[in-house]
Amino acid sequence: MTPNDVRPAKPVPVVAPWARPFWDAAREGRLILQHCEDCDRVIHYPRMVCPHCSSTKLDWRAASGRGTIYSFTVVQSNAPSAFAGDVPYVVAVIRLAEGVQMLSNIVECDHDELFCDQEVEVVFEHLDEEFTLPKFRPVR
Amino acid sequence: MANNRGKSAIIGIGEVPTGRHSDQGAISFALESALMAISDAGIDKSEIDFVIPTGSLFSSQFSNELATCRLVEELGLKNVTSNCEVFSGGSSSTNALRVASALIETGRARSILFVHTDKLGTGVSAQGGIDLFSTAGISMEWEVPYGQHYSTVAALATQRYQYETGTTDEQLSAVCVSNRKWAELNPNAFFRTPLTIEEVMNSKMLSTPLRAKQSNMLFDGGAAYVVTSGARARDLVERPAYVLGEGGLVTHFAYHQEPDLTRFGWAQAGRQAFEEAGITPGDIDVAEIYDSYPIYQLIAFEEIGLCARGEAGALHMSGATAPGGTMPTTTDGGMLSKGHIGAGGSVSLLVEAVRQVMGKAGERQVPDCRFAVETAVGGTYMDAQVTVLGAEIP
Ligand SMILES: [Zn+2]
Repeated sequence: MTPNDVRPAKPVPVVAPWARPFWDAAREGRLILQHCEDCDRVIHYPRMVCPHCSSTKLDWRAASGRGTIYSFTVVQSNAPSAFAGDVPYVVAVIRLAEGVQMLSNIVECDHDELFCDQEVEVVFEHLDEEFTLPKFRPVR
Repeated sequence: MANNRGKSAIIGIGEVPTGRHSDQGAISFALESALMAISDAGIDKSEIDFVIPTGSLFSSQFSNELATCRLVEELGLKNVTSNCEVFSGGSSSTNALRVASALIETGRARSILFVHTDKLGTGVSAQGGIDLFSTAGISMEWEVPYGQHYSTVAALATQRYQYETGTTDEQLSAVCVSNRKWAELNPNAFFRTPLTIEEVMNSKMLSTPLRAKQSNMLFDGGAAYVVTSGARARDLVERPAYVLGEGGLVTHFAYHQEPDLTRFGWAQAGRQAFEEAGITPGDIDVAEIYDSYPIYQLIAFEEIGLCARGEAGALHMSGATAPGGTMPTTTDGGMLSKGHIGAGGSVSLLVEAVRQVMGKAGERQVPDCRFAVETAVGGTYMDAQVTVLGAEIP
């Protein structure tokens, strides 16, 4: 048995019921964000009630898929078991153009050329039959 | 908010050395620490009427035993009205003190025993520790699937902070060196041999720009303290550590939700604590700053007002925070050199703050130590907590 065979499976998102549309859209290659009809704010991650005004009138809107890197790190060692085979990989906090932040990975890039405030755009990576993860790459 | 300056005080502390004690159960660290704290307080164990254990991360079975009164039975305490766990990860020390102080102030309890123990050094494997801290306090929906863990959490803050302030890798490494100098003087610390900036800078890269020697390591250990009223404290011990002020601010659960990874909630927490205490950061004689990674020591140090934004790195380089310096900081060696024992990271710091104020810090004793500030924070630095202690009530 090789070390690869004993490596645990990648963790999949443990989905809150109200976030299901986000993951369904991601599976279709679309990035959508929750929006509050009462206070007109964009919300991420999705909530049961609006964190700003507590409204339950929440709908979904297509996101631009563009943003900037608020901060990033290239993982080189001591990764969680399920990610040991991915080293080096990039974890980043993205500031989306819509004004909300999300955690993701930066892919399709030269790790030495990443910088804070760099412009990025969304790409989609298939995880399994149920989940596709929105990730980001530098805008060329 | 009501001002409770000096209405409660810590009068006794106990602590076992941080280390790898595979031959001993976590229960022994808890009992030894508790007995030391009760003895230090100069009271009989029958006077303890409230027990606050905090959670142990290495074993949910053991943690549940603490929540269900095992310590009361093992210690033979007969007059305990409540055994009630207070757990918030790395800020458990402060939150437990806050709960204890409120119970004292309302007269609900008279002598409260707080106890922490954990066994992260020998109770879990090295990879098990990494995996534990790749889910504990991290969003299972929005972060775990992206490979977030505690090295990346610290690295993300470090990267942005360096970008905004120009703080260098050498200055970050100087935090580790400063804390090590204190650990060399602390018999309860694990790492006690001298450390240089070069050694830190040459250690293995974990997650850019964070290196291995800029990361805490997990160990076994335990500590305890006893809280009573300010009025009663001065009859029991020569030099109580009065709880002068407390402040806090919860800023996120999921790390990416934090609006400012270079500041967190420290500024507001610090203002509240100093306002209640009736002193300013300039009055502080010793600062016990939460240091699971050097970035957090720099950020909290600046944000609570001990120096201006972006200057903490240079101050640590200058020796100001080391033994003999003008602002002795993290004088037990901290999580970086004394060792990280789960929720015990900040318990150590609180116990050390008390030790300094009570004048019992031995070789590490800061001369004429009247006022101490201690910081604590849980999970992914989600709830900045600040406590001001003093040998007198301003
Ligand atoms: Zn709203």
